[in-house]
Amino acid sequence: MFAYIVKRLLAGLVVLTLVSLSIFLLFWYGPSEPARAMCDSKTSNRCSPEKLEVFTEELGYNNPWASEFGTYVGGIVTGRDITVAGQTTRCEAPCLGLSYSTGKPVWEDMQSRIPATVSVAVGGAALYLVIGVPIGVAASRRRGSTADKALVSGFLVVSSIPYYLFALLAFLYFAVLYELPVIGQPGYVPLTESPVEWAGGLGLAWLCLGLWGCTAYTRYSRGAMVEALSEDYVRTAKAKGLPQRTVVYKHALRAALVPVVTIFGIDFGTLLAGTIFTEKIFDINGIGLWALNAVGQKDLPIVQATALFAAIALIVSNLVVDLLYSVLDPRVRLS
Amino acid sequence: MSAQTAGPETLGQLSEEPKGEDPGSSKTRAITGKSPMRIALGRLLRDKIALVCLAVVLFFVVIAIFAGPLQKLFGVTTETAYPSQFLNLDGTPRAEFGPPYGGFTWDHPFGIAPRTATDNLAFWLQGAQNSLQIATTATIVAMLVGVTVGLLGGFLGGVVDRILGFITDFFLTLPFILAALTIAPIINERFRDSDNYATIQVIALIAVLAGFGWMSVARLVRGEVLSLREREFVQAARVMGMPTRRLLLKELLPNLVAPIIVASSLMLPAFVAAEAGLAFLGIGVTTRPSWGQTLNQGIGFFDNYPLYLYQPLIAIVAIVLALNLLGDALRDALDPKTRR
Repeated sequence: MFAYIVKRLLAGLVVLTLVSLSIFLLFWYGPSEPARAMCDSKTSNRCSPEKLEVFTEELGYNNPWASEFGTYVGGIVTGRDITVAGQTTRCEAPCLGLSYSTGKPVWEDMQSRIPATVSVAVGGAALYLVIGVPIGVAASRRRGSTADKALVSGFLVVSSIPYYLFALLAFLYFAVLYELPVIGQPGYVPLTESPVEWAGGLGLAWLCLGLWGCTAYTRYSRGAMVEALSEDYVRTAKAKGLPQRTVVYKHALRAALVPVVTIFGIDFGTLLAGTIFTEKIFDINGIGLWALNAVGQKDLPIVQATALFAAIALIVSNLVVDLLYSVLDPRVRLS
Repeated sequence: MSAQTAGPETLGQLSEEPKGEDPGSSKTRAITGKSPMRIALGRLLRDKIALVCLAVVLFFVVIAIFAGPLQKLFGVTTETAYPSQFLNLDGTPRAEFGPPYGGFTWDHPFGIAPRTATDNLAFWLQGAQNSLQIATTATIVAMLVGVTVGLLGGFLGGVVDRILGFITDFFLTLPFILAALTIAPIINERFRDSDNYATIQVIALIAVLAGFGWMSVARLVRGEVLSLREREFVQAARVMGMPTRRLLLKELLPNLVAPIIVASSLMLPAFVAAEAGLAFLGIGVTTRPSWGQTLNQGIGFFDNYPLYLYQPLIAIVAIVLALNLLGDALRDALDPKTRR
């Protein structure tokens, strides 16, 4: 078990290094004039070629990429000083560079936006399971009935509608047109400030994520339950005279949930990496909306930091899923 | 279809051919041979939902192909000089140019857009064209990449399979929207001053869509190839000394037609939705009309001009839903195991 964990952690570290290197290279070689956006914002759009050259030099784009990547990673670990236009800014660890538009360290802004994204992700993902799994279990027990068929085809239609249209309609009707109480004014209020407003402002977003996302979980858990209910040990449990409830929930559901948990872990990581549509539609000031606005302002360090954040969220969630899976299913670590 | 597989599969099909209620079918003509594709087509034509979906899809395809002539027919263009003469002070269209305050007019059958005063019908038609063009091209590219990777990985096995499998898994973990979001500003920065910026943007979008769509096809094809390559007809072809390239293209590929058709019919709606979604976020097509742009514009005017937002919304839902259901129907029709 210990050897397995060490192996997985090392593999995760290698992937993380590779991904951060590729993101760095993408932003290094991608733009033809990487310093242009910074130069434009510092000189109020009167960026002459000479000034551009100064900024290019200052931002280190004239150095070889390998040494700059070292500086970037070093900054993330220990922090560094960045000098732009004669002004030196102390960028504390983890330093992800300076924002082109505000000149402030990227991490300062990012810090204040992470809780919003995490709140959206946690609430939405919780609803995936809370709504999806019970419906799936109920459907599997009434397999082949009219209700089951109606549910399966109804959910197929719902999941065929793009998520952003689903959320957009919910927002337009429940927040703009009818202005529902409590959840009618979406937005992010920190949990520590007012838990009621926090839940109220995110309620509609959670519901949308949950109702749309749960269709997949209903499908998974229905399929897994149907399979589990036909297993021999379930028949044995029934033959022993155990109550129906115990057989379904203690014997079958336990086995059926293992694959659902893995999918859930990966979905949760994807949500953490960016709930861009949700944040844009419900105007929640999280990482996704921030990155989207940064794209509009060509604020490349922010976009780069978001990509890195997303990569870390995904890699860590994959790692957690793998480790969790080896706990839940002994066959994995033994093989 | 290669002769080797047409045999058993056709027999399997015949044994569960329609039981009476279908006049003029193969039953009256006794035992005439039918290719698997014709059987699938026959099944599809008996599926009412599939026919409705097919009609919806064909409607949009015709609109997309004839977007230009249709605009001329209705006398509308996407170009507007002096938008302010069409608009109220709050940016909504004046009553004489149609909804929301005025009635229907033939000059602007769908009304005009708030703020820009562009004709909605012209924009909508162009949007349909761009949407289907981008989604179709991306689907074709993704299919080519996916099938190639899947064929090679599944057939060659060993190191090649492992490397391709790693790449596939790697791409699967990347979140698509974030990748699009990361690449959009870079493309914008790099080619902003280029004369072909509009074209480059579309090509970049197609590349991103295809780049995040091929993995499922690759996995599907690989799985099929793994089971096919041990079959007798492939071994026979090998024994006869058929070159690998010919073996892949002439023996394996024809047997993959059905899963490939199904996969592409499910990929197309995903790309239509993704294209509009990215345009909605402002990181997709910005230089040409797209339904997603209208969605984004429409939010602010939804209170008194909901029709403006509903035009693209209904179009997207209709085509995505129709394509998805059609894909499911195709899967049922092509699968010899389903019984209806």
